[in-house]
Amino acid sequence: MDVLSQLQRQLADFLASLYREGFVDDQFTQLQKLQDESSPDFVMEVVSLFFEDCEKLVNNMAKVLEQQVVDFKQVDSHVHQLKGSSSSIGAARIRNVCIAFKTFCEAQNREGCLRCLQQVNHEHAQLKANLQSLFTLERQIVAAGGSVPAMQ
Amino acid sequence: MTLVLRFQIRLSYGRATFAPRTSSEQPRSIPQFRGLRVILADDDALNRTVTKKLLEKLGCEVTAVSSGFECLSALSSAENSVRLVVLDIQMPEMDGFEVATRIRKVRSRSWPLIIAVTASAEDNVWERCLQMGMNGMIRKPVLLQGMADELQRVLQRVGEGL
Repeated sequence: MDVLSQLQRQLADFLASLYREGFVDDQFTQLQKLQDESSPDFVMEVVSLFFEDCEKLVNNMAKVLEQQVVDFKQVDSHVHQLKGSSSSIGAARIRNVCIAFKTFCEAQNREGCLRCLQQVNHEHAQLKANLQSLFTLERQIVAAGGSVPAMQ
Repeated sequence: MTLVLRFQIRLSYGRATFAPRTSSEQPRSIPQFRGLRVILADDDALNRTVTKKLLEKLGCEVTAVSSGFECLSALSSAENSVRLVVLDIQMPEMDGFEVATRIRKVRSRSWPLIIAVTASAEDNVWERCLQMGMNGMIRKPVLLQGMADELQRVLQRVGEGL
């Protein structure tokens, strides 16, 4: 198998594993479908926006949660935003943590919230690493003369 | 309650009557979105980027703004050339409902068309949208097919004079 075919096979397998392990879902496929010649870096741009957003929200939530008196409404509104954006890009695991997170906010459970925040951080780091690998593979394919079609 | 029922009946009526009229009319599968001028209002940068791209993929010409205020001012400076406003309901300062109300104060119910985008799973959101003068509604996360279907439905209803 030549280098290009090997890379393409690697990409397909890697992507399949991301779906299988729930890192991404159909909404991510949607994003890939939106990428085209007029915006070849669309997915990467949107994903970067998401990670920036996520970091900001996590920092804000951490600050609120370390107060003497926690404003759970504020935490909840940040979680709501994170849930929305993770949902928009198909970051399924993060979205799922947000669902649990919201319940803890409603129950005004600080410990539960802190645990969820930790989980969000963890998932954020994992997803970032995974998507970076994905983009690297795609770049290698393009460099080897191949093209990256919209994945089904 | 009555309003919702009436709408639902109209919805199925609309779909049922379109099918037989195939000989002289456009085939149902061709979307009439090419060049459709749209204003998209969403305060979230990520959602705005994704929805804008989605609409452009469907052929629309999109102006994206980040608040209700910007939406109203973009609309007034564009005069009558904007066919559709896609509006996130949950925006700070001025929400989608208020934007729609203000638009309908000075514009007819079918120009521009207004489609609401909501994260809410509540049943009465649609009723509220209708009351505020909106023509359609789509739930987040927004999908290409979902948007295409709702756009088509809304444009069709206008075409049938409903």
